[in-house]
Amino acid sequence: MRGYETLKVDTTRFGAITIDEQKIITMPFGMLGFPDEKRYVIVQHKKNSPFFWYQSVDDPALAFVITSPFFFAPDYSVPLDDAINQMSWDEEKIEDTVKLYVVVNIPNGSPDKMTANLIGPILVNTETFQAVQMVVTDSPYSHRFPLLKDH
Amino acid sequence: MLILTRKLGERITIGDNIVITLLEIAGSQVKLGIEAPKGISIHRQEIYERIRQQNLRASEVTASDLSEADSLLRTSG
Repeated sequence: MRGYETLKVDTTRFGAITIDEQKIITMPFGMLGFPDEKRYVIVQHKKNSPFFWYQSVDDPALAFVITSPFFFAPDYSVPLDDAINQMSWDEEKIEDTVKLYVVVNIPNGSPDKMTANLIGPILVNTETFQAVQMVVTDSPYSHRFPLLKDH
Repeated sequence: MLILTRKLGERITIGDNIVITLLEIAGSQVKLGIEAPKGISIHRQEIYERIRQQNLRASEVTASDLSEADSLLRTSG
């Protein structure tokens, strides 16, 4: 009998994790600036936290903090056509299968100055376990949107 | 860098399946049409670069800063 495969990654930031191989997300084009790292997993920071680690499977030292843009920008909306084309995804299923995340930057030692990049969201297809980082042009959104007011 | 001079409507081909057409010239603005296969990403360089820079910075976030950011966000409601 063949059980499902697991993989152990000894992450630099939050220790060893065991990954169900079926949950590995593949990015054919990688993250912008990191074209060689194509496999990631999403790990929630803590129970009930809005933050997740987007951890590289192949490079234990590479991880991004991501969150849903809808926590702080409820009306967030970007055109998905380019990404859908680029990934050859089924357009009719998109609404149900695709999840949006944005990358969070927390400057070293200044967590109060955390920002989210709203022009480079990560689109995750929960059916095919593929993802792509989009480049949003002609939008009103900032690449450094403050997550705390008054900062 | 290869530098080519083109007239309005003329094209440049790159490899077997990328074609760039010079569509319009108005003052200092040039409009280009780009045909490329699916799976080739084409972006305005300055926006691509902005996201790349944010990614580079975001890849350096530490676990302790995230923990603190997480509690900050919760207490700010």
